[in-house]
Amino acid sequence: MTRKQRRLVLIGSGLGVLAISVGLVLSALKDSIVFFNSPTDIVEKKVAPGTRVRLGGLVLPGTLQRGDALQVRFEVSDGKTQIPVSYQGILPDLFREGQGVVTEGALEPGGTFKASSVLAKHDENYMPKEVADALKKTGHWKDEYEKAKAGKPGTVKPDVGKAAATTPVADTPKGSVQ
Amino acid sequence: MTLWMAFLLMTAAAVFAVLWPLSRRRDAVQADPSDVVVYRDQLEEIARDRAAGRIAETEAEAARVEVSRRLIAAADASEPISSKPVGPAGLWRRRIAAVAVLVALPVGCGALYLAFGSPQLPAQPLAARMEPQPAGQQPVAELVTRVEGHLERNPDDGQGWEVVAPVYLRLGRYADAVRARQNALRLLGASAAREADLGEALVAAGNGVITADAKAAFDRALARDAKDVKARYFIGLAAEQDGRRDDAAKIWSALAADAPSDAPWLGFVRQALARVGGTVPAPAESPNTNMAAPAAPGPSAADVAAAKDMSETDRNEMIRGMVARLADRLRTEPADLEGWLRLLRAYMVLGQREKAMEAADDARRAFAAEPDKLRRIDELVKGLGLAG
Amino acid sequence: MIPELGHYALVLAFGLALVQAIVPIIGARSRDATLMGVAAPTALAQFGFVAFSFAALAASYVVSDFSVLNVFENSHSMMPLIYKLTSTWGNHEGSMLLWVLILSLFGAMVAVFGRNLPASLKANVLGVQAWIAAAFYLFILMTSNPFMRIAQPPLEGRDLNPILQDMGLAIHPPMLYLGYVGFSITFSFAMAALIEGRIDAAWARWVRPWALAAWMFLTLGISMGSYWAYYELGWGGWWFWDPVENASLMPWIAGTALLHSAVVMEKRDALKVWTVLLAILTFSLSLIGTFLVRSGVLTSVHTFASDPSRGIFILAILTVFIGGALALFAWRASLLRQGGLFAPISREGALVFNNLFLTTACATVFVGTLYPLALDALTGEKISVGAPFFNATFAPLFLPLLLAAPFGPLLAWKRGDLYGAAQRLMWAAGAGLVVVAATFAIMHGGPVLAPFGMGLALYVILGALTDIAERTALWRAPWRTSLQRARGLPRSVWGTAFAHAGLGVCLIGIVCESSWNTERIAALKPGATVDISSYQLTFDGVTQRAGPNYRELLAKFSVRHAGQAETIAVLEPAKRNFPSRNSSTTEAALMTRGVSQLYVSLGEPNEDGSISVRIYHKPFVLLIWLGTLVMVFGGGLSLSDRRLRVGAPKPAKAKRSIEKPSLQPAE
Repeated sequence: MTRKQRRLVLIGSGLGVLAISVGLVLSALKDSIVFFNSPTDIVEKKVAPGTRVRLGGLVLPGTLQRGDALQVRFEVSDGKTQIPVSYQGILPDLFREGQGVVTEGALEPGGTFKASSVLAKHDENYMPKEVADALKKTGHWKDEYEKAKAGKPGTVKPDVGKAAATTPVADTPKGSVQ
Repeated sequence: MTLWMAFLLMTAAAVFAVLWPLSRRRDAVQADPSDVVVYRDQLEEIARDRAAGRIAETEAEAARVEVSRRLIAAADASEPISSKPVGPAGLWRRRIAAVAVLVALPVGCGALYLAFGSPQLPAQPLAARMEPQPAGQQPVAELVTRVEGHLERNPDDGQGWEVVAPVYLRLGRYADAVRARQNALRLLGASAAREADLGEALVAAGNGVITADAKAAFDRALARDAKDVKARYFIGLAAEQDGRRDDAAKIWSALAADAPSDAPWLGFVRQALARVGGTVPAPAESPNTNMAAPAAPGPSAADVAAAKDMSETDRNEMIRGMVARLADRLRTEPADLEGWLRLLRAYMVLGQREKAMEAADDARRAFAAEPDKLRRIDELVKGLGLAG
Repeated sequence: MIPELGHYALVLAFGLALVQAIVPIIGARSRDATLMGVAAPTALAQFGFVAFSFAALAASYVVSDFSVLNVFENSHSMMPLIYKLTSTWGNHEGSMLLWVLILSLFGAMVAVFGRNLPASLKANVLGVQAWIAAAFYLFILMTSNPFMRIAQPPLEGRDLNPILQDMGLAIHPPMLYLGYVGFSITFSFAMAALIEGRIDAAWARWVRPWALAAWMFLTLGISMGSYWAYYELGWGGWWFWDPVENASLMPWIAGTALLHSAVVMEKRDALKVWTVLLAILTFSLSLIGTFLVRSGVLTSVHTFASDPSRGIFILAILTVFIGGALALFAWRASLLRQGGLFAPISREGALVFNNLFLTTACATVFVGTLYPLALDALTGEKISVGAPFFNATFAPLFLPLLLAAPFGPLLAWKRGDLYGAAQRLMWAAGAGLVVVAATFAIMHGGPVLAPFGMGLALYVILGALTDIAERTALWRAPWRTSLQRARGLPRSVWGTAFAHAGLGVCLIGIVCESSWNTERIAALKPGATVDISSYQLTFDGVTQRAGPNYRELLAKFSVRHAGQAETIAVLEPAKRNFPSRNSSTTEAALMTRGVSQLYVSLGEPNEDGSISVRIYHKPFVLLIWLGTLVMVFGGGLSLSDRRLRVGAPKPAKAKRSIEKPSLQPAE
């Protein structure tokens, strides 16, 4: 076999494998990606029931209800729209009211979001990026988060709201030495 | 001094690591036989494989030819490398390299370090800081930590909570002060003074606003002792904040009227009274009879003054003690970038966000004409989470 | 004083890196041995200073010196000593310091063990290595300086992220970095070869030990990280196709391909251009991984703190090094002469097949990881590409690899006998089919493909052993002869067999865990029992306990075989609450029986006194990690092979060989 032929075989098989993988990637991208939505997106885009999506936002304080057999209901809000979420199972360690959360699942015909998985953040500094962006979009970013961080409404300094207006970018969650 | 000596030694070691090989001659044995060695090794391996019967003779022969060809090519390609300077150009290259390293390494590294480092700060291991120091020389914060450690182990020590509460207040840790007051109240039992102290902490935590919680605490204090000075003062303040200035004036006039003339808080009440337009009544008792006066709620009265005065002056003093020299110096010599950056960090460590922001603004003004310094300020501001 | 000394040492290391980046390369160009000789001592000194700097930071952590901002932010005086030490690299700044420490360690190792390298190659390798190092020193000093100080230090630190307060932090990052950064050496070798415009079979021999060592560490690092996630996150999952995991998987796949193509290059002087390209790509993927994790474009537990200026800095490093390397490659690759010929069916052909599929698989992971980021940047649309995507793309590409793996070692160089190899693998394939049938018969549940996975795994293991059996003439010759031959086999042959068999072992674990894993989630009150697999668990109640810097809720379960009274184990899963960070972690309890595990993790306590519990039975799950250990063991065997041993040819031999460079041309 000559050098030229050898090279042709190599290039041919290379292209063949590449074509197969491109096909695999495209079909997988079509079938298996999941879009992230804020509650407002869900309402505005009229996401059809049964479509798998990720829903992210803040757990609205006071809406968490626990039922039998690890049934949980809560509402996810981006400050503008609320969507009720139902989930069966154990919530992650850092799931708290007023904190960011990302859930994956599908909308039921009744308008309730049935989650098959719930992800909370890893530590007190970490707000899921998608949630942070969604909140920034609706303009509810800093004050909601700040309140949630402070825990008790009583300890929120009155000027936080003002500070929020001037400091919209707070995704350096390091907070440093303050 | 030892620090600079150590820096000097380290620099010398670094320079030596470069100059030493530059000063050495390399002998020609170091020429280029390495790949020849590899191929020789491969030939031996083929021989071993053949001997062990792992490959057939024809394969071995083919492989041998191939490796031999590489061996020859490698031997041809290797040209000796001289260790002697390749003419005057080579000698000059070495000299330039040596001089450059000798000068640039210490100067460059020194400059870079001074730009980022803080040679004036000693190491502060926690254990050394926690060792008892002569009384009076110990920063308040360290005392507090010691007491906190004690309370962590003995959370039911009501006295401890009562001791630490006013300190929290002075340090501006209002939420902690509230917690400490609540614990003291729970563990030592209710009294007018403790209820009033709790109310005071709640007011501080509410940024001076008398919240419903605080009002309730003062009411409870007055229910136990209608004469409690602190509670009466704050109830008056509550009336003022509600816009009932007349009520406030009434309450404070009564308070001033009951006060012994040398009560340290009297001036304070008078000031408040003047603010709401009330008249200042004459002291109830003449100065010379105050020895016989019924013991006014002295400690709590002093506390009012202390909490107000000291939480202002003392805190200011603390801040000044910590950063005053720096801030003062920067006011006169604003061209010190590192100084400003340190000041910013110090304010943030003290939890004084506004001051840090002001300082950031001042620093920006001081370096308005120097964009790269401005950038460093902005970076720090962003890093501290102050960014706008 | 110690933090400042550490800071200055880091600055000096930067200065030395600059010297090392310039002087030896000039020396190599002008063929001046003295200037080239600067490289090795400088590399050693540079390593010494970084090591000192790192030790200074670690010392500050150990004594809780909160006047160092980095210590204040990531440590707590009540933490156990081991976590104080490990939290040195449990944060962005410290982990970058670890990164350069390992980078300079590899440079120092080349300086020490590379005595048999040609002087100019060594000078160029160390020079390129120093360029990388200098860029990262500057990055650390400018944007991520771990030695920033606080004038009035607070009395307590802000504690380390509780999830990181685990032994895993002591093992996973150092191993992973040794792997990631180890590939910088192969990168430097590739760049040096391109700079010199000369590359040959000997180059591959010099590079292979480094690639092998880096690959071993990377394998260990990924594997240990996976086990850490498995027991620490409390979800019982061991691989999430999380972008950060993918970031470490990509260099691993590319590095595996590099190992295989370097073999072809060493033996046959072929695939030179491709091997050089792979060496560049592997380290580029390591850099991309560092960028993804450190820049904050991804948020995960690995992203300690995000800061746009850091992201841009790393992006600049990334662009300069990858772009520069690829440009140099495009410019100089044509200088590299073509090597030996081979037929498509041959050992070389098999290794090319391996490379083809590995790199394509790597590309699919790359697409799946970066597509969401690109889409977000371009359209603002947010999507998540999760396990389904990778299962649909990565798995089909790995299947041919697994089928072909046993063939490779059985094919001869240049021209192989596919039919003969297939015949010799018949028994392995037959055994695989028996396992498929048996699995179908025994297990009724699980996915249809699972029995085939089991069969495939067994085929891979037996196929790997076939090579050994063939070479030792097992069953054909007397025992004694076979044993003697086995002893005489080069260790690299054993290494290949172990590495391939490890792949099969790992596959068994993966198939079993994902197909026959049983899970129970329940809210239990004290005294309640749960049946899972063949076990019965009784919940005995909860207790509170105080740890050094946390409080924990401890639940007690006694485990029995179903229907028997005897308690075989007591499991105590816990939930820890860290007040200083206001966060909590789940500590799963594991019972290991053979290679299967019972896994209990706690949810939250409910108002009615019950507690939510997750219980899994995971059959053969430990094989996943044991398989990777077998692979690493194989790598170690190969590394210890006499021929690859670093610095193998003795200087005495070297002298002898110069005497006869005049071997007459045979043509």
